[in-house]
Amino acid sequence: MLRTPRLLLCAALVLAATAIKARAADRPQAAPPDAPLSFERDVRPILKAHCFHCHGGEDVTEGNLDLRLRRFMATGGDSGAAIEPGDHEASLLYQRIASGEMPPVDMKLTAEQVATIGRWIDAGAATLRDEPETLEPGIAITPEDRAFWSFQTIPGSVPIPAFSSTERVRTPIDAFLAAELRSHGLAFSRDAEKAVLATRAYFDLIGLPPSREALAHFLADDAPQAYERLIDRLLDSPQYGERWARYWLDVAGYADSDGYTDADTVRPFAYKYRDYVIRSFNADKPFDQFITEQLAGDELVEAPWKDLSQDQQELLAATGFLRMAADGTATGGIDQNVARNQVMADTIKIVSTSLLGLSVGCAQCHDHRYDPIPQADYYRLRAVFEPAYNWKDWKVPGQRLVSLWTDEQRAKAAEVDQEGATVSAERTAKQEASISEALEKELAKHEDEAQREALRAAYRTPADQRNEEQKKLLDSNPNIRNLNNGTLYQYLPEAAEEIKKIDARIAGVQAKKPFQDFIPVLTEVAGNVPPTFVFHRGDHEQPGDEIGPGGLTVCSLPGERLRIAANDENRPTTGRRLALARWIASEDNPLTARVIANRIWLHHFGRGLVNTPAEFGAVGEPPTHPELLDWLARELVSGGWKLKRLHKLIMTSTAYRQSSVRTMETAQADPDDRLYARMPLRRLEAEAVRDRILATSGALNPKMFGPPVPVKEDSVGQIVVGPDVPEGNEPPRGHEAFRRSVYVQVRRSQPLAMLQVFDQPVMETNCQRRTTSTVATQSLMLMNSDFMLRQAGYFAARVRREAAGDPTRQVQTAWQLAYRRDPLPSELERALAFMAAQNDATQPPTVAAADGQAGAGKPAEATSAEEASQVDALANLCQVLMSSNEFLYVP
Amino acid sequence: MSFPTPRTRRQFLAQNALGMGGVALACLLRQDNLLAAPHMPRELRAFDMQPKTATSPPRARAMISLFMHGGPSHVDLLDPKPELSKRSGTDYPGEVVYSFANRASKKLFGSPWKFAKHGQCGTEVSELLPHFATIVDDVAVVRSMHTDINGHEPSIRFMNTGKSQPGRPALGSWLTYGLGSESQDLPAYVVLSDPGGHPVDGVLNWSNGWLPPLFQGTVIRPKEPRILNLDPPSHLRGRRQRENLDLLAHLNREHANRHPLESDLEARIASYELAARMQSAAKEALDISGESEATHKLYGLDDDATREYGTRCLIARRLVERGVRFVQLFLGGQPWDNHNNIRGSLAGICRRTDKPSAALVTDLKQRGLLDTTLVHWGGEIGRLPVTEGEGEKCGRDHNGQGFSMWLAGGGIKGGITYGQTDEFGHRAEVDKVSPNDYQATLLHLFGIDHAQLSYHYNGQEQKLTDNRPCRVVEELLA
Repeated sequence: MLRTPRLLLCAALVLAATAIKARAADRPQAAPPDAPLSFERDVRPILKAHCFHCHGGEDVTEGNLDLRLRRFMATGGDSGAAIEPGDHEASLLYQRIASGEMPPVDMKLTAEQVATIGRWIDAGAATLRDEPETLEPGIAITPEDRAFWSFQTIPGSVPIPAFSSTERVRTPIDAFLAAELRSHGLAFSRDAEKAVLATRAYFDLIGLPPSREALAHFLADDAPQAYERLIDRLLDSPQYGERWARYWLDVAGYADSDGYTDADTVRPFAYKYRDYVIRSFNADKPFDQFITEQLAGDELVEAPWKDLSQDQQELLAATGFLRMAADGTATGGIDQNVARNQVMADTIKIVSTSLLGLSVGCAQCHDHRYDPIPQADYYRLRAVFEPAYNWKDWKVPGQRLVSLWTDEQRAKAAEVDQEGATVSAERTAKQEASISEALEKELAKHEDEAQREALRAAYRTPADQRNEEQKKLLDSNPNIRNLNNGTLYQYLPEAAEEIKKIDARIAGVQAKKPFQDFIPVLTEVAGNVPPTFVFHRGDHEQPGDEIGPGGLTVCSLPGERLRIAANDENRPTTGRRLALARWIASEDNPLTARVIANRIWLHHFGRGLVNTPAEFGAVGEPPTHPELLDWLARELVSGGWKLKRLHKLIMTSTAYRQSSVRTMETAQADPDDRLYARMPLRRLEAEAVRDRILATSGALNPKMFGPPVPVKEDSVGQIVVGPDVPEGNEPPRGHEAFRRSVYVQVRRSQPLAMLQVFDQPVMETNCQRRTTSTVATQSLMLMNSDFMLRQAGYFAARVRREAAGDPTRQVQTAWQLAYRRDPLPSELERALAFMAAQNDATQPPTVAAADGQAGAGKPAEATSAEEASQVDALANLCQVLMSSNEFLYVP
Repeated sequence: MSFPTPRTRRQFLAQNALGMGGVALACLLRQDNLLAAPHMPRELRAFDMQPKTATSPPRARAMISLFMHGGPSHVDLLDPKPELSKRSGTDYPGEVVYSFANRASKKLFGSPWKFAKHGQCGTEVSELLPHFATIVDDVAVVRSMHTDINGHEPSIRFMNTGKSQPGRPALGSWLTYGLGSESQDLPAYVVLSDPGGHPVDGVLNWSNGWLPPLFQGTVIRPKEPRILNLDPPSHLRGRRQRENLDLLAHLNREHANRHPLESDLEARIASYELAARMQSAAKEALDISGESEATHKLYGLDDDATREYGTRCLIARRLVERGVRFVQLFLGGQPWDNHNNIRGSLAGICRRTDKPSAALVTDLKQRGLLDTTLVHWGGEIGRLPVTEGEGEKCGRDHNGQGFSMWLAGGGIKGGITYGQTDEFGHRAEVDKVSPNDYQATLLHLFGIDHAQLSYHYNGQEQKLTDNRPCRVVEELLA
């Protein structure tokens, strides 16, 4: 059972002995904790967040006081020197911040920050090194900024802490965690039972419970490799992609509608991206490739885009990632320029938070106050995407679709259109002739030629141009006035019949037209390369300097930055996105591999090593286990960016395999499970709750891929799945309404109630991390919703099929189906008593028996009151099981 | 209120090994006289909604917050500025803090509306708020609010969570954490949302942050059914559903015994109990059909302009009447964010909210509930005295430096104004009140010392007022 991890561990230990990659040493390192106060490390970050805005960091320098360097402060501004080294009380800077006079707006400094500055002045206002002779405008990136943990090069190897043989270290992961646990006087909890571990693995990897057979098979398998083989089987399962794609769709901001306006127009082909993500996870596509395709798949498909192969279609669908932001530009009544720039800003947010773990959005208006992201860097990123979005020459969502018609289909379609046009012309001619014929027939009823002429002229005059006389004339001849295409059949029934036949022919012709399928694609128009400007305060109406594409400065070594050519001459597109993608998806930038490894960890343990998964900067939480994060990131890269390998590494650790039961000791010492002294108990995510219910009731339709299952508003305004379900207790086989939740339409304005109540995010932009709530509305949903009652009915029918007539066997079967275990004796007893009580006719009847209304969970064909109540009791039991904590939480 | 003292094994067992829920624990603790100060670190406490004893005699029992987000224009509503009117059209003499630099102007814009004195107290109120003008004797208008931040979201968080950063528990979460609920049949913390959608920041506005999930706000829908799935289907109504829930409680309790010390499992057990009780209690509380015609009229339910907001105000009264601790009404979008056409848009939102807001105070008073119910009306920022844009369709930009709000009932001194902004209304200058001062004051009215109400998280004693300098504004107290 231990062989593979042990071998791996040995190999890693050997690697650890080799020197850390040379490049890492080039990066500034963090200071020791007891170092004396310095400007660069201790004071500048405070001033940068609170003061630089008006004192040196932007175009206006208030009072001519520049606080960006210590020597500027000593020289001072209009009011004189800002600091008197050695005497904080005599220092203007100190006086102003201590009194709260400065900063005049925004948030004041904390007492602690004021004190730090005071102590720094008293200690002589030291700097770490000589200050530069000159300073570029704006807020420079300092060595201290670069020393921040997440900007460090990922080490080539990470030394694995020593451990003792009693610490149950199975993998290097355990060694890192054990070291930390040990220092807190803790150790891993005991291993979870095999059945618990299997349940955990199933929900983690595929989001569905094991079948009874699969579980029994695993429990009976005593081979040392049984658990690893279980993991392998799950990773090979197509449901793996459905489960893990959903996590990625959160950070990508997946939605099947445009958002932005109340219209919230449906995006009928957004699902191509969803399917692409599922396929990519299932194929274990290297994540660097996955990133590259999403950012620049279009640049990898040669023009012209005709007769696209499956692979080419996938590459194009990948760019759906860049089409996920809300985009209301096809809707009227909005400020187009604001809306277009918002699409770009949201897209940059999605890209930066999902892949770089940084919200660069602050730098849209000014240099980032906390992170070393100058405003220019933001616009360098924007320049990468500018040619594809091109806000001055915009394409609305419908214009960003690539047709999948082949040449042959296109020719066929043209042929059909031609044929259709011919028949349509025939129809028009026939109609006109028939109207004339009918008109003459009616006119013939008048004897007076002049009268006939006047009526004919009046009829032929368009209604809004008729004079009073003509109107009067027609009013008195309604048989003529009312003659039109719609009433023709009353005048000339045979002609109308003929027209109907032509209609049928037109429909027949149209039906021959091949279905036109589309992929939403982000791409550029060849040769159309708009400039990018730094917008003053983020305002698109105030363009400043022009700027070219590039990467984030702080992610490269001092003096370097990812250079991106304005145009790649060898491509029809500029190649900017491809260049950025290759940089993001490489270990040359220190963030991506850490961010991705952290996300994988997060979804296995319910908390990240960095628990702010999209905020790896100064305002995020620092990693609980920085070395472990580095080790995982290195493993990800050296393992070819394969996620399945990473899953297995994590899941074979003792940390993952331990029990989730809290003890007094772990609860007190590690209440937030930061140390992993046990496996956290986690509530299932919204989709997994719904999917588990469907799987348990037997209604689950496993159909994969394709257009989403539509949603609709029901009679009380609750958003439910659209397709109607026939009445009855047997679930209809393969019904659209019962597909996995990942296939349910994500309409921004119409979140499915069952999912939303369990915290599925409403996609404004994207979701970095879901919250988990526990509220009474969830309980009401499980107690009373039509969905739940219907599923309980299906579940009961399934139990009855397997165990008709015998209550004990029914309870056992229900327990097996819901929990994959037998009921405890006390539970069995309680459940039987419950069913007996519900069936007890001597008890007062429920309201239902009185009014006789059938609910969704009620038997459709009850033949006697007794039988009806039996089915009721079982359905109610089934509903209780599916509402219980054991059902909603993963142990 | 948590005071870090070692807990005893006995308390621990009470919650877990003996298989008792939060309610049972609360009883046990009450017998032991421990409830006033349960000396337990956070993670091992049993959280419940049982009423807790405040540390000092409370004046307020419940609170209704009419949150007017977007930035109500104080200089047009509650803070008359003769100097601004006099010098309208000339330049503001100092520095203006703008949000939208591209539309910035220094041109003073005197209020297009007239102010007049009202009530015994003579508080000056704009003609935009004729109904508010009738209740001024019961109200304290605070004219010196300031967040010093111009943005909506950070200022809303500042007012509602004590700090501008996201992720912290909301006011209602703190109050229910500290005091529990007088009603065990209704959610302790209710949010009445607007038909126009959620406010900016959405559900974060009633998030429990890092407080246990039990203290999250419960949203009531703006239209019928106001709570989805409240009614059991006919075949479950009556004893059958009760039996379902009993069985469920049994299974969940056994499960919790196998997984001790999980506050989320306890919260979910409690949420089923609450849901069951809500089925009758919430239905009754939300049904306004039994209210008299006079009451309907008072809240403006006979008028299309006020019916919706009036209904929610009336529901708010019914909820506090039934023991709900904290009710907050939000508006969809940013109706007070009058950057453009303030003449039209401000008048519109006043028409919609003025009568119902005033009716709430009047109604609470005539029912004897105002003494113990704190009513808050206000937003997160105000608006600038200078114009944004030109001409008839001009508006005002954000102003976090100075704005007004009003408070009534629950121990607030009526018929006063407190604090001043500068002569134009840009900056709070005299008797300034920060969001933390406001929070400290309202906790004080509930008998809670803001420096004492704490929750251990991230290695620190976290507080609503975030350990920052602030004061109880004694001058506002009756």
